[in-house]
Amino acid sequence: MSIRTIVVGCGAVAQRLYRKPLARLAKQRVLEVVGLVDPAADHAREMATSFAGARHFTSLEEACKQARPQLTLILTPPALHCAQTLTAFEHGSHVLCEKPMANSTAECQRMNEAAASAQRVLAIGMIRRFFPAFAKLRTLVQGGALGRLQSFEYREGHKFEWAVTTPAAFKPRSQGGAGVLFDIGTHALDFLQSVFGSMTAATYADDAAGGIEATVAMGLRAQDCQGEMHLSWDVPQVNELRVVGSSAEAVLRVDRFDQLAIGRPGAFVPQVIDESFPVDLHQDAARRIVPLSYPDAVLCQLVQVLRAIELGEKPAVDGQGGAACIALLEQALSVAAPLPEPWLASREQAAAARLHWSNR
Amino acid sequence: MNKIAIVGAGGFVGTTLIESLVLGGHTGVRAVVRSYRNMAGFCRWGNAVEVRLADATREAALADAIAGASAVVNVTTGPPAGIVQSTRAIYDACRRAGVPRFVHLSSAVVYGDVEQPIDDDAPPLDKHWMPYARAKAESERWLRAQTADDLEVVVLRPGIVWGVRSPHTLGFARAMARKSSFLVDGGSGVFNGVYIANLVAMIRAACEHAPGIAGFYNAGDAERVTWREFYEALGGPLGCDPGKLPVVSGDKFPWSLGAAIDAVQSLGPVNALYHKLKTHIPDGLKAAIRARLEGAYSFERQAVSYAATASVDRELWHLQRVRHKLPVNKFAERFQFVTPVSFPEATRRTIAWLETQGLAARRPIDTAEFSKASNA
Repeated sequence: MSIRTIVVGCGAVAQRLYRKPLARLAKQRVLEVVGLVDPAADHAREMATSFAGARHFTSLEEACKQARPQLTLILTPPALHCAQTLTAFEHGSHVLCEKPMANSTAECQRMNEAAASAQRVLAIGMIRRFFPAFAKLRTLVQGGALGRLQSFEYREGHKFEWAVTTPAAFKPRSQGGAGVLFDIGTHALDFLQSVFGSMTAATYADDAAGGIEATVAMGLRAQDCQGEMHLSWDVPQVNELRVVGSSAEAVLRVDRFDQLAIGRPGAFVPQVIDESFPVDLHQDAARRIVPLSYPDAVLCQLVQVLRAIELGEKPAVDGQGGAACIALLEQALSVAAPLPEPWLASREQAAAARLHWSNR
Repeated sequence: MNKIAIVGAGGFVGTTLIESLVLGGHTGVRAVVRSYRNMAGFCRWGNAVEVRLADATREAALADAIAGASAVVNVTTGPPAGIVQSTRAIYDACRRAGVPRFVHLSSAVVYGDVEQPIDDDAPPLDKHWMPYARAKAESERWLRAQTADDLEVVVLRPGIVWGVRSPHTLGFARAMARKSSFLVDGGSGVFNGVYIANLVAMIRAACEHAPGIAGFYNAGDAERVTWREFYEALGGPLGCDPGKLPVVSGDKFPWSLGAAIDAVQSLGPVNALYHKLKTHIPDGLKAAIRARLEGAYSFERQAVSYAATASVDRELWHLQRVRHKLPVNKFAERFQFVTPVSFPEATRRTIAWLETQGLAARRPIDTAEFSKASNA
């Protein structure tokens, strides 16, 4: 029997990432999209073109009462995640909540407690766990292929390209905005912690001077190594994760699905990327794919959540994993400093530091 | 304080202009952008920047967006086919909204390879192989023909805008790190560049000066620098010795398949069709095409060996053939302007920025030291 599913938030994430894989699973009768929840009727209408049987709701409460979902996909801005997840659990639904899990560890805790109390699955959407090159790097590092770990450097930056329909994301954090740290940073930190284990932020600097950060630099410490993370919405970075070990170095392209090399500077060897994920709900996961596109990676993520519901498997990132990521973000913000910008004139550097939120 | 409206504020020049205004304590900064996503480049400043949505080719919407401004700056980017249209729309919107000054950014590319010495008032070339240059030239000609006395038009004609956040500079730096750059005629051509902070200072001067400064002005750095000197200034931290780069003759362009495709794409109707089709291609497909065109990825941060032969980009080949530095004294005299950042200082700043991009060899970040210094 197909799993009754509702989509909460029918904007860019739903339309660009989830629509196609959901339609594929609906066609296979693995799930059925029975409700589309969004206060903007045009967003819901757009999604409804792919899910003829789905009803439009402007209220999640109403959708839960009338559509009785078994799975609720929460694809709304982060400030809404906690309240909507709690509502879904109150009505007995499982939840897949897009990253970041919430805006604070306190909210994460409430979400995890509600999941435990309702005995329902809480999965966090971290699509990069399903990028095959990322999975391969994790396997290699944890298998000791690089020798003793020494350091890592994560860089990701590109012009912001999401077709957002409101300026909400660009507001200061106190007004519900979420800058590059909560946008790309959650992906990066979740992945880095999955590879290197629990981390702490030794340093954190961003450029938010009255608004929300567009560029950040973090110094990170794990049990076995330390490293840096640099993110930007403002200018392109080299978009790589470099991991240095005692016997080899790995270079992962973080903007691609299948680009990973191992070696030493001057002698890197591209790796064959064959990490696959299940796309059926059979115990033996007979059908698997190597996802090489966003829709395929989302498909694998959705299937894994469905397998968690049907077969009791653990999702790639559960509520505890999502909370660990938010805890690291919070700890980083507690040691925040202005981002050094030595290319500015000295009086401009001083002005930027004065305007920085940590000095207000 | 006077209000400055920046049309196309999400681009590299617009973002840096906003940064300069906010950090300089200017309280009347208005960003005019086509969509909210273009706010990412200046979202760090919060309410210090007033944001208005408007399409730069729609006069009525623009007039609403710029109403109350004392000056409007046009730093829009985009397909060449839209350049003339947006110039006209912004000009007309200024008149409709009663804005007294329009600062328009043209480009030194309208003078091609500058084969003879020319002054600021020389007309643009009639013909040019680049659609972008043709569109910028046509915009200049159109602005020259306008005679309204209620709107003062200042046209700035920057050369290669280089430095922090510059896509050109990133391109040069990446090619140098890959050791795949080239020098035309050994790099003896003139690098007609303007460091971004110098250009921003000129734009601010053009916005803030008393009336009576309408005209056309070249915008460049103070020094005369050759391409060889420019590459030498940046090359060290990028692991590139310009002396080891392939040298290409400036006599005749070395055609290749890629350059031929580029040339076909530069034909007016083909170029317009290309940009039209591009807007209809889904992002996923665009990314796949980009990845295919990119070819095999070098996992080296800085390449070990130099390319034996160069893949020569036509635009860069022409830029390196420039023989004369465009004069910048007209702006200096009219505005009593002294270029604020010297070439050596601009180089230092650019390298500091490239270090944070992971391109140049770098020093470790010390935020604690920085905080201490800032607070002191």
